[in-house]
Order: sequence, then structure tokens, then C-alpha cells
Amino acid sequence: MAPNVFAVPVFFICFRECLETSIIVSVLLSFLKQTLSPVEDKSIHKRLVRQVWYGVAAGLLICLIVGGAMVGAFYTLQKNTFAGTEDIWEGVFGIIASIIITIMGAALLRVSKLQDKWRVKLSQALDKKDRDMKGSAGSRFKQWCEKYAMFLLPFITVLREGLEAVVFIGGVGLGLPATSFPLAVICGLGAGCLVGYLIYRGGNSAHLQIFLIISTCFLYLVAAGLFSRAVWFFENNTWNKVVGGDVSETGAGAGSYDIRQSVWHVNCCSPQLNGGGGWGIFNSIFGWTNSATYGSVLAYNLYWLVVIAGFFLLRFKEQNGRLPFMKAKTLTEDGDSESSPEGSVFERNVEGKRGREMTEPASSMVRELRD
Amino acid sequence: MALANPDGMAERPVMGINGQWPLPTLNFTKGDRVIATVHNQLGNQSTSMHLHGLFQNGTNDMDGPVGVTQCGIPPGSSFTYNFTIEQPGTYWYHSHTRGQYPDGLRGQFLVHDPDSPYIGQYDEEIAITLSDWYHDEMPGLLSHFISVANPTGAEPVPNSALMSDTQNLSVAVQPGKTYLFRMTNMGAFAGQYFWIEGHTMRVVEVDGVHTEPAETSMIYLTAAQRYSFMVTMKDNVEGNFAMVGSMDTDLFDALPDGLNTNVTGWLVYDDAADKPAPALIDAFEPFDDYTLVPQDGLEIYDHVDHSIQLDMKMDNLGDGANYAFFNDITYVEPIVPTLYSVLSTGANASNPTIYGVNTNSFVLEKGQVVEIVLNNDDAGKHPFHLHGHNFQVVWRSEENDGYWNPDNTSAIESFPRKPMRRDVVMVNPQGNFVIRFKADNPGVWLFHCHIDWHTASGLVATMIEAPLELQSSMKVPADHYQVCQDSGTPTAGNAAGNTVDVLDLTGEHKSPAPLPAGFTARGIVALVFSCLSAFIGMAVIAWYGAAPIAVRKPSVAAGKVTTN
Repeated sequence: MAPNVFAVPVFFICFRECLETSIIVSVLLSFLKQTLSPVEDKSIHKRLVRQVWYGVAAGLLICLIVGGAMVGAFYTLQKNTFAGTEDIWEGVFGIIASIIITIMGAALLRVSKLQDKWRVKLSQALDKKDRDMKGSAGSRFKQWCEKYAMFLLPFITVLREGLEAVVFIGGVGLGLPATSFPLAVICGLGAGCLVGYLIYRGGNSAHLQIFLIISTCFLYLVAAGLFSRAVWFFENNTWNKVVGGDVSETGAGAGSYDIRQSVWHVNCCSPQLNGGGGWGIFNSIFGWTNSATYGSVLAYNLYWLVVIAGFFLLRFKEQNGRLPFMKAKTLTEDGDSESSPEGSVFERNVEGKRGREMTEPASSMVRELRD
Repeated sequence: MALANPDGMAERPVMGINGQWPLPTLNFTKGDRVIATVHNQLGNQSTSMHLHGLFQNGTNDMDGPVGVTQCGIPPGSSFTYNFTIEQPGTYWYHSHTRGQYPDGLRGQFLVHDPDSPYIGQYDEEIAITLSDWYHDEMPGLLSHFISVANPTGAEPVPNSALMSDTQNLSVAVQPGKTYLFRMTNMGAFAGQYFWIEGHTMRVVEVDGVHTEPAETSMIYLTAAQRYSFMVTMKDNVEGNFAMVGSMDTDLFDALPDGLNTNVTGWLVYDDAADKPAPALIDAFEPFDDYTLVPQDGLEIYDHVDHSIQLDMKMDNLGDGANYAFFNDITYVEPIVPTLYSVLSTGANASNPTIYGVNTNSFVLEKGQVVEIVLNNDDAGKHPFHLHGHNFQVVWRSEENDGYWNPDNTSAIESFPRKPMRRDVVMVNPQGNFVIRFKADNPGVWLFHCHIDWHTASGLVATMIEAPLELQSSMKVPADHYQVCQDSGTPTAGNAAGNTVDVLDLTGEHKSPAPLPAGFTARGIVALVFSCLSAFIGMAVIAWYGAAPIAVRKPSVAAGKVTTN
């Protein structure tokens, strides 16, 4: 171990943050490659891939700026502006990211079942110009999100992970010599990107559906962990206020957690302390914490409950054209219905026509995208 | 209760005596018999009185600590302390009810000795005290100190320092005269450095023990310690000189903005002249009391009959609060005051277990030379006090020396021939000390840290000296038992009040359970359940992902859709 040229905590922090990001980015990229590139929609493929990378770059840029400003402020002004609200930031970002991943995950899975159709709709959506200007602000925002989903998800992820990494490194790195940083950072990022690349390559060569199922499982594990962590951070923030200080300074022992909220606590294996090491990785992927609260445990289980229920509902809707306890909706000219158009259009698809006929009911297909 | 504002910053209720606060400085002469009756007119708290430093030989029941030698005196009740003073020196008196005396119930008392070796060497005596001071009342501070919201056990930081319960004290002096200052630190928590600008001090007494004179320019008093020192005034009057008490901030967890840790007074030669502000100093260089030599020349107790090791630490228990421990046990007051247990349990009184799990009780035999080895596993300084005795300080380690090693022959060989004696001694952070005394005083005597916060959080041990002898010699007055009756406290039996089977301690007062170590049943269930949720969730995802979109019959209005 050569702590003067390689700071182990910094390595683990970078590895962990980069891992989460690259899982998401590589799944998206692999999915895009598989569904879009076999067909002549190379331009769509290119556009969406570019969206992903723009998202990553924009996230990186912003978090470098913000992170640099914070670290600069901390070192020059000796003011830890982030510390007081750190937990709230983590919590809010965590919930947002968790929700986005949840929705995207389902969308990806579902969409793969409608491969061909979806491809065309996507191109329609991207080409759509002023078609829906008369929609409400809410629905326009929704459509904008759909259009740039491939940008938004990587963007938010990179932003969150990057800021986390900057704050953690800022905290951990105080005692370490500056020479130990570069190698650790490069190795950490490199290791994370390597894993992402392997996922990408693995995804490309595997059967798409299996790849999607496995990667969606991982995505949901990550999202469940994120949700649980977010609740944990909110509770940690409350505890900080009760004790009146930065609790993480007391280490992982007694006093660093609220005994009244604790479901389990072990003094080792903390994903927060000193960069977290392997436990930090465990925390990123599975949401592991050495000090679980009622809130975090319930959040984790509730998340899975909602996801399970959600998938059952989705399946039900696909099979029966409606949600349980609701009537099947009738259609209007614009295809406002949520259920039938897809079924009927899909039916035509099943009858054997591919490609050409998909272009016709444009607006209803766009609606489909949201489902 | 009365209102007072000694530092001019905040008026607050204080506990006084006979309508007076600060409490009067009592003057006794060696050999005096004292009869003091305490009437509790506080209204909402019980109380007690302890004369700190008096041996109370033969009068253990007059010592004062609640739960040890008496019950608390409930509001409206009275209690008489009746004893003889055979020891000269500088002492103080204070409430010995949990967390009470810092609310003002403390004062100094002096015992004058017509046979003192220093008679004739000074012209006048000056009684003076140092203290820390809080603006908030103790009950509130104490409940926050020992609570889940204070897991690190941070002691409340005092709001100011006082000299003789005021600030900017003026002491009129005359040139050329020698004064004997008799100083007590009556604080709850803070140790203080003390010095007089332009003058040196000749230490002649500590905690009631006359010493060979030792010249110094600065002394350090922990809470509860006393020093007597002679100061010779200058012959040529050059103005007035500041004397400074400065609280030891090493003990403070945080230094709030605007806290003035110093208190200033003046030796006033000339009333008309300026009272200059004290000069800043670079470092504190206090006198090391370990080097004092007792004036009576008592030699070190070479042979030890009974050695007691006390390892102290601070840790959290299952309620999340921070407590203090001797040998992993934190002190909790028993149901029956320990002295009454001694008197009512016959032959079993020699069995330390009957006094309860949480009293840290040790039984000593009459005449034994007892040694206490104290190992400090905490990063703070602590002043330890033994009731009923003073003790020889044969060794005090430096900071971070760790535990005392009984095989450390070089240290043992360096023990002083005539070790310093006093009744409050400080241990260094992560260090140790070794003290020795003779068990010549049958009684129940507490050994505890004199930082009142730590006394409250359990840094207390009980020395039960010659219990069987006590049974035959001690006769507790009726009004002591009456006070117990008034508060509904049993006066017989073991620590749990069991008079039938004294080895059965069911129902005794105990400390909160320790923190659960690792996974409890609840934790395991939660973890397993969460993993199960994840696996089921992933199974559902796989199921959904693998199922193809179903073929459905178009609904009634399907025809509309297909048209353009």
C-alpha cells in the first residue's frame, strides 16, 4: 500500500460513483444499439446515442463547476457550505433518480416488446415539430421529457454521482497528500468505465430480451437502494439537527445514529466512513447500510411492493386493455385512449406488415411512447 | 431560592442559605463541635449537605452524600449534622444531591489552627474562591447532558468564571505585609489556573494538608481542590496588581463565541490608582502539586494490603445517552442508602454483592493500607475525590501513558519518600495515577470524579470500610431515619431493600441495558425480508419481461382508429 501515490478511499469513491453511472449509460447504449441499428434508422440511433453522451457531458460539466466551486470555497474560506444540507441534497437527488430509473426501466422493458413499432414512433417523436403546441404545459413538459429522455437520465445520474463524488472526496481527502489523488481518481473512473464497457459488449452479443431483463433487474436494485438511501439521508439529517453537529464525525459507533429509529446497526461495514471501501459499492448497488432505520427498511420494501404491483398492473392492462376495476375506454379521433390503439395497431402488426404501415396513425403512436 | 447575577450578564435563580447568596464563608477552629440543622425550603427539590474534606471519623452518617450515608432531605423536612472538626485547613461545603450544587448551593469553610506551623509568618488571612458559572439551571442542563441527543457526552460549557462569586473583585492590601490566601475552587466542572501579576505565591497547604513551602508564580486548581498560599506584598507601592483565574479550556467540548474564560480581581494597594487589565501570557505553566512534601513528613506506605484497580471510560448505553464507567459499571444510587444496608445486614455486610451491581462497592478491612490504581481510558482530565480520607499521591503518569504497569520498577523506585497528600487529585488524559491511604475510618466513603456532570453520569465507586465495626459503633439519629420516612425510602436491607434474603437483588436500581451489539432479531428479520422483496421483485420483472404482448380483440370503436 502506497498511500502517498494512491489514496485508497478516493479510488473506491470514484469506482463506486462511476459504476452506477456506467451501468445506466451502458444499458441505455446497448439497448439503443440493439433496437435501432439493425434497421435503416441509423440517424435515429445516432441522435439518441448523442443525446446520451450529451447528457453525460452536461452532467460532468456542471458537477465539475459546482464541485470545484464548493471545494474552492471550502479550502479558501474554510466554510463547509455543503455540510449542513448535504443529507437533504443526497435525499432529494436520490428520490428523483430512483423515480426516473423506475420509469425508464419499465419503459425500456416494455418497449422492447414492441421493437419495430417503437422504432418508428421514436423517429416520429423526434421529427415532430409544432404538432402539439395546443397541449397544456404539463403535457408539453411530459412530451419534452419523452423526447429527451435519453438525455435526461444520464444527465441526472452523472450530476448526482459526480456531486456525491466531489463532496466525499472533499471530505475524505483533507488528510491525504495531493499526490495521492490523480492515480486513485483515474483508476477509479477507469475501473467503473471498464465495467460499463463490459456490460455494453455483453449486452450487444446477448439476446436482447435476456439482456434487458437482467439489466433491468440491476437497474431496479439500484433504484430500490437509491430510494432507501434517500429516506436514510433524510433521517440522518434530522438526527444531525438533534445532536447539533456533523454526526459522521463520530464514526460508525454509538452516537452516530439514532437508537430509537434503529433496526440494525453494526459498527463496521459503513459505506460512509472513509470513502466506504467495498461496502460503498455494496451500498451503491444494493443500498446496503450498516445502520438501518425503520424508514430506510420500510422504504426499500415499499419500493419493491410498488414495483411489483406496477408490473402486475402493466401486464393486466396489456392483456385486458384496461386497468383493474376500470372500464375499457373508447376511442376518439385523436386517439386519446390509453389502451385500445396500441392493441389494434399491434394487431395489424401481427398480421404481418412491417415497417411501412407503421407510419400512419402518427399521433396515437406518439401517445404510445408514453405508455 | 433567590435571584442573583454574579457576572453581570444574566439574572437567574440560585439556591441560598438563610436568604443569603453567596453562601457565607464559615470559620471554625480546630476542635470545634458543629451542629448544623438543614431545613429544606427549596420547594421542589430534595437536598443534602457535605463538608468536603472532613474525615467524619466516627460520624460517617454526617458525611452527606445521598444514597450513600443518608436519604435526600425532602422539601419541608429537616436534618441535623453533628460532628467534631479535628483537622485544620481550607475546605468547602456543598450539596451532595445529584447535580445540585452548581445552582449555587456551595460555600467555603475554614478551620483555624492555633497550633499551625505557620503562625507568625503572615499578617492576615484572605478567604477567596474560584468557580465556573452557568446561566441556566441545572435540572435542564442535566437532562440534556444525559440524553439520546447528547451521545458524545459533551459537558455544558460554563458561561463565565467567578472569583468569590463575583467579578472584578478588589482585595485591599498594605505594602510589606504578608497575607495568607485560602483558596477553594467551588466549580462544577472547570479547573482554573491562578496567578497574581507581579507577585509569587508560597504554597503552604493543599486540601487540609500542611506542606513544606513551595514557591511558584502560577497554580492550577481542579474543581473541589484547595490551596493556601502566602503572598508578601511589595514594599514600594507601584499601583494595583491584577490577579487572574482562567478556566482550563481543554475540558470544554466547544468554545462558543464571546465566552470569556477569565475572571479578574485586583490586589489594591492604592484605591485611587488604576486597576490595569491583566497582561496576556504565552503559556500556562502551573505548579505541579505532585512535588509537594507534607509538613508532617508522613512516609510512603510501602506495603499495600489491598490494591483496587479502577479502569474508567465513557461510553453509551442502550438509551443512546453517554455514561461514565468504572470497570464497565456505571454508578446508580441504590434503593437503600449504602450505610443503612451496612447497618441492617449483619454478617452479610462484608459481602460486596449485597450493595448492588451498580454501586461499584469495595469492602475494606480496618487498618489495611489500601491502594487505588486509576486508569483513565478517556481523553479528558478528571479530578478524583475520596470521602473520609486524604491519600498519598505516589504516582501520576503523563498524558497518554496508558494503563499503570505494576511491574514498572523504575517508576516504583521513583516514588517519593514522603508523597504529597490531598483529597482531590487529577488524572491526565489516557494516563493513570496510584494513591494510597490507610483504612482507619470505619464508614461508607465515596470515591468519585468531582466534575458534577460525571458524578451524575456514574463515575462513582463506593468504599465500604470496616462494615462490621460500623455496625457496633454507629448509631444513626432518629431525624435521619425520619427524613427517609418523609420521602418513602426504605432504610433496611440490601441495595434492593430486601431484608429477608440479602443475596437476592431483584428490583434493585440498575443502569440502562447496553447497546445491542450487532444484529438483533429485529434486524435479521428486516434484512431477510428486504432481500426477499428484492428477489420477488426481480422474479416479477423477469416474468414481465419474458411475457410477450398479448393478442387482444379490438374494442368496439376500433374502426375509427384505423381510418386516417
